[in-house]
Amino acid sequence: MQDTVKEDDILLEVRNISLSFGGVRALENISFDIRKGEVRAIIGPNGAGKSSMLNVINGFYHPQEGEIWFDGKRRHHMKPHQVAKLGIARTFQNIALFKGMSTLDNLMTGRYIKMRANLFSQMVWVGPAQREEVEHRQRVEEIIDFLKIQSIRKTPVGKLPYGMQKRVELGRALAAESKLLLLDEPMAGMNLEEKEDMCRFVLDVNEQFGTTIALIEHDMGVVMDISNRVVVLDYGKKLADGSPDEVRNNEKVIDAYLGVSHD
Amino acid sequence: MFYRESGDFKTSYIQDQQIFPILQDRVFVTVIIAFAFLVVPFLINDYWEKSVLLPVLIWSLAAIGLNILTGYCGQVSLGTGGFMAVGAYASYKFTTAFPELNLFIVVLLSGGVTAMVGILFGLPSLRIKGFYLAVATLASQFFLVWLFNKVPWFYNYSASGQINAPERLIAGIAVTGPNAPPWATYLFCLVFVVVFALVAKNLTRGRFGRSWMAIRDMDIAAEIIGVAPLKAKLSAFSISSFYIGIAGALFFLVYLGAVEPTEAFGIDKSFLVLFMIIIGGLGSILGSFIGAAFMFLMPVLIKNILVNGLGWSPDIVAHLILMIVGGLIMFFLIVEPHGLAQLWRVTKEKLRLWPFPH
Repeated sequence: MQDTVKEDDILLEVRNISLSFGGVRALENISFDIRKGEVRAIIGPNGAGKSSMLNVINGFYHPQEGEIWFDGKRRHHMKPHQVAKLGIARTFQNIALFKGMSTLDNLMTGRYIKMRANLFSQMVWVGPAQREEVEHRQRVEEIIDFLKIQSIRKTPVGKLPYGMQKRVELGRALAAESKLLLLDEPMAGMNLEEKEDMCRFVLDVNEQFGTTIALIEHDMGVVMDISNRVVVLDYGKKLADGSPDEVRNNEKVIDAYLGVSHD
Repeated sequence: MFYRESGDFKTSYIQDQQIFPILQDRVFVTVIIAFAFLVVPFLINDYWEKSVLLPVLIWSLAAIGLNILTGYCGQVSLGTGGFMAVGAYASYKFTTAFPELNLFIVVLLSGGVTAMVGILFGLPSLRIKGFYLAVATLASQFFLVWLFNKVPWFYNYSASGQINAPERLIAGIAVTGPNAPPWATYLFCLVFVVVFALVAKNLTRGRFGRSWMAIRDMDIAAEIIGVAPLKAKLSAFSISSFYIGIAGALFFLVYLGAVEPTEAFGIDKSFLVLFMIIIGGLGSILGSFIGAAFMFLMPVLIKNILVNGLGWSPDIVAHLILMIVGGLIMFFLIVEPHGLAQLWRVTKEKLRLWPFPH
């Protein structure tokens, strides 16, 4: 948690986003912002529209209404790979690693947008392509050291245990050196120890690299501990927005999570 | 015992990233290439040229091409025969229109033409995947062969409808036509195969190769990382077609000499190359070579043993070969779906520890 988050320094803002699939309203008139350098949590019950929201930010879904502002500029209709170039990286709820490739290659692929060598120099290899490869390898090795995954550097990721795969996926997202990192349930399915490790990594990324982080998470303990601000969604609507304490005591949030008898 | 990496420490990333990180591999490959260039040309005769070396080299090149598309980028294609035909006809048109043009350039240009055709037929891959894409590429196979049969301009209005490779010299030595010496045609093909195998290896271990493999393994995640699917898929289609086009040009100019498209570049050729990479190993350059050699030489070997050795009648053996090869394909798919290249990798792992595996 950074104490230096400035109130008006907004990295990403979504304004009045509405998204529907046919007759299903996935998101209705949602607005919130993400400040530079903060850890922002998006929570809500299953089917609340959290992942849809990330997909909108990523460019997988295109909302029917609303505006997305990133880094002070309005973002128009963009494809996911263009969004990546703006500086938004992401991990997935169900691990989406490149299973046939080694840990190292997965992370190197994460640096795709940073690499420039053209087709011809790639064919020749010796020269610019090799220099670039070594240069990026050094950056990737730093991430490998940071995440403590040296021992699985050359292992095909398909053979790794679940917790390790999650960690490699975080590494791949870090490799892009993005401004905004979206984490879709980074701790889902982990045991306590793995969760603690992952929390540490998320906080370290935030503090050491200054990366802004938006995360979806179901573990309330984790969310309340590591995030600066929390936005709560339910049935595609925004229920609450504010500091963990405000959200925790919000009547509507308690209702949505615990359920109430309507008398 | 001798094959091991202990004591072979890498002290730089360049050393760690080389193609053959193990010293013994490097020595082995260097010896093979030196043997192929320096010794084989003096030993080669007509039989070895036409029945073994040329076809294996040319099919290896085609297999590398298809492996880039199918093995690395995950786009199944059944259009290989059609693309080989494009390479063959392009080389024919170039060399008859410009007889003075160096044959190396003719072959490279034919690859370029095929690359463009490949991009065109690769466009459906942006919308459809898997089996459906395979069917779409099947269309290219039939359309292209039909085109070369139908439009007389492609075969220079010859009465037979065939195309014939005219004699072309490089440095005063015939490389095509009936008078070409075996060593000349062999070296001509070998140069292409060695150079472009190295190029393929460089492409697949770098930025391009990783973008292809990313699309193959998880296209959504590839997009999130910044890989444009359009660019990755079409570059795979074009480079793959470039290789297949070169293979087609060599197949026609140097190996066959005369070509009738339906027979030389039929659908069976598309399947042959696909089997080569499946048996050899998807996503492996080495596998392309092993697969090509296996699929082409296995029938030759069986025939030699049964017809020449045991004196069986050739037509029975021809049928037997089909059954044996088919059986072997099934055997490999069940026992080792990652192909012979994977089998070789496992052997190497074992060899490193041999004879004390514990």
